[in-house]
Parts: sequence; structure tokens; C-alpha cells
Amino acid sequence: MRLALILIVLGGIGCGRQAVRASEKKFLADQVMVFDEDPHESTANDHVRTNREGAAGGNGAGGGGCGCN
Amino acid sequence: MRLQLTAALLLIASAAQADDVAELSTTLFAEKRDGGSGRLTVVHPQLLMGVDLGQFTSLDFAYSADIVSGATASIYQVDAVSAATSFSDFRNEGSVGIGFHGRRSRISFNALFGTERDYLSRQIGGTAAIDLPGRNTTVALAYTHGFDEVCNRDNGDSTPLENRALTGDDTCSKSAVVKGKDRPMADGDGSATKWEDLTVDTAAVTLTQNLSPTMNLQIALFGQVQEGFQSNPSRRVRIGPNAPQEHIPDTRARWSVSARINRYLTSLKGAVHFDSRFYNDTWGVTSGNLELAYSQYMGKSLLLKLYGRIYQQSAASFFKDAFYYETESTAGEYFTGDRELSPVRNATLGGKLTVITIGEDKPVLGLFDKLQLNVRGDIMLIDVLAADSVDQNPMGIDKQFIYGNSLIDAIVIQAGLLGNY
Repeated sequence: MRLALILIVLGGIGCGRQAVRASEKKFLADQVMVFDEDPHESTANDHVRTNREGAAGGNGAGGGGCGCN
Repeated sequence: MRLQLTAALLLIASAAQADDVAELSTTLFAEKRDGGSGRLTVVHPQLLMGVDLGQFTSLDFAYSADIVSGATASIYQVDAVSAATSFSDFRNEGSVGIGFHGRRSRISFNALFGTERDYLSRQIGGTAAIDLPGRNTTVALAYTHGFDEVCNRDNGDSTPLENRALTGDDTCSKSAVVKGKDRPMADGDGSATKWEDLTVDTAAVTLTQNLSPTMNLQIALFGQVQEGFQSNPSRRVRIGPNAPQEHIPDTRARWSVSARINRYLTSLKGAVHFDSRFYNDTWGVTSGNLELAYSQYMGKSLLLKLYGRIYQQSAASFFKDAFYYETESTAGEYFTGDRELSPVRNATLGGKLTVITIGEDKPVLGLFDKLQLNVRGDIMLIDVLAADSVDQNPMGIDKQFIYGNSLIDAIVIQAGLLGNY
């Protein structure tokens, strides 16, 4: 698990340097491309599902942006 | 009481809210009950405010409530439908957070308090996120610690098979609203009650990656340990001629991994969304879900999103169909009538329409750079599966829960206003 996490982060650093230039982030900045863009929609979904399903988690820790600012 | 267990997730989700945001919404959830028992209705208003305190600091405030009414099964048994009773509850939850923002990093701290008749939730947590060099990768870490209390009937030294459940006539006392207060003696306000501890530690790691100018990916790892009283204090299970309070393990460790992908379709002015998750825990529940969604702009100010989701899980190792408990007794130390621990699957279909107003020359309503009015509706189809051999269960499982036998089992309607300022 620890090794997988390290690989993901290192892979991300590599991708991050080359994947998309700042001038190419117009579509990534669109609200439809933002994970959990509507806070209340996300929390209401979690609310309904957590009380009907044995599973939990999956929405991550937030903080995911497009690096557009 | 399970409503409160979602709080750790919600705290994590809200820990990294965008700044300068205000949202007001109300969600109606209605689930059909079998056998003429009406339905369960939950009205869930939410309010969120984000306020800047200078260039690098922000404050978040959030409030939500649950107004719950409807029918519930008093005893998990072969025919739970005919024994259903009505109930109502009112839950309040508030949270406050402070965030500090750098050019490429953010850190925030949150505190949450929730209260309802038989449950108190107190949680603290924090989130840290950083954009890695190139600004195409964001790594976020979050952790919350919850120290909750559950009101339970004081059963003294009796065994699990002798324990009696909390009833609506029993009083759950609180000190200054925020702490449970035991009632050691039975009186005119019901049986003796005591507050049981439950700690919930939750951690999540998220990697968000821009893959191309029109595609991004998010991978999330989630882990949680719950330690303490986790039974529903009011739920009873028919075991032979008796109906003791359900009895489930004190420790549960759970984890999940999820992956989400967004792909923008420039020629259509739309986007495709894919979401998947695998989940497992030490009680034996394993589950997976898939979601596919599509967003489509219609003109400059309308956004339509359509989505479908499927979910399936296996049962907890100690979950049995009601017929088994009634005729064979328990399968080990533990026994439960919790549908969330049964083998169950569901499907959700829904749509959301958003009207977007952008203040190009002057702020919308004199305040907002962008204001969105949204309305969404879901239908939910729930299918409860047999946990034990159907051949050896002449009674079937159709009546052991008071829900889940209709074509459309539940609906969700949400309306909200989301403003950025």
C-alpha cells in the first residue's frame, strides 16, 4: 500500500510537469470539470447513501483543483 | 442515529470548500414502506457560508438539519411489516472551519457538533492540500476524529441475548446540550438509560491529476476505524421466542479506493463523468459501485446533468435472514437486523438542471459574481437479497424489512441556490 502511494505521487509529479500548460486549462476550469463542485449535492448524496449502504468513503479529501489560479 | 455517522465524511468533504461561497438548499427524501405503513420522509435543509478574512484566511460556517418522520420496524423478524411503528426525530448539526491559503497550498481545520434525541456527535479535523510543480497534480490529506455518544437502555450486567432495546418512552438526558447524562434509575420518564462512547477516526488521501486539456482524474483512498457502541439501541431482533436488542461488534475498520474521471467534449459543450469505488471492511461487507453521468450546456445559462449509478454489497459475516434467527438462533456472538449490513443492491437514476447567472457588468443581486439555481430529482430502486439459502426459508425475505419491495423505492428532490462572491 505504501509503495503504491509513493508510485502514485511520483507518477503524479511527473505528469504534473508535462501534462497541461497553464494556457491550456480553459476547459479544466469549467465547473463541469470540478470534482464535487456543488458542496450540497455531494453531502446530500453521501447522506442518503450512508444510511442505505454499508459502504463509506470515496469522495476523497477535497482539495482537487485544476491549478488554474 | 446512523445519520450522525455520515458526519465524518461530510466534515472531510466540506473541509476544503472553495472560498467566498454561499449555498442554501433543501433536500426531500421519501422512501416507500410496505404493508400500508406509508413512507419515511426526511427533510434536510442545509446552509453554507464562506467568508474571507484577508488575503490568506477564510472562515466557513455550515448548518444542516434532518426532520425525520415515518414508519420503522420495531422488530427484525420474518414479518416485520405488520409490526411497524411510527416515529419522528429532529437532528441539528453545525460546523465551523478556518482555512489558510498560500499560492499552491491550503490547510484548514474544522469542528462539528451534531445532536439528536439518542445521539451526540463531536468531531474535529483538518485538511491539507498542495499543488505539485507544474500545477497539474494536487495531493490532499484529511483526518477527522469523532468522539460520539449513543444513548442506550441501561441493561446492567445482562447478557446480549437478555438486553432490552431503548424505546420511545425512555428519556435520554443531556448536560448543557453537548454531553450525555446517564439516568441510573427508572422512573416515570422511562427506563434507566446511559450514554455509550463511540470514537470514529477517518483519514483520506486524494490525488487529482490533469491528464490532458480536457480530462482529469481523481483517485482517493479512504480509511476509517470505529470503536465503541455501534448497535442501533432501538433495534430488536427476533431470536426464537425472544426479541433482544441487536448486538454487533465494537470495532469496525473499513477502507475504500475510488477513481473518478471527467472528460470535456469541446464540440458538444458537455462533459462525461465516470465514478467507481471498491469498499471492504472487517465485518465482511464488500461492495462496489459505478456511476456514469453526462453534463450538457444548453445556451449560456442552462446546464443539464443526467446520471445513473449502480451499487451492490455482500452481507456482514454475522447478518442472517430473519427466518434463520427465528428458527436457528444466532450464528455466533452477534446478531443484527440492519439492512445496511444485508446483501443489498440499488440503482439510482437522476437529473439536475442548473440555471447560471453571471454578473458580467455588475454583481448579481448586488453581491454575487455568479449565482446558480438548481433543481434535481432522483429515483432509487432497492433490491434486498437473501443472505441464506432460499430453499430452507419457506417464509421468504419479502417482509423482513419494511422497505425494498416496490419498483421505485425512494425519491430524492433537491432545490438550492449556490452563489460565488
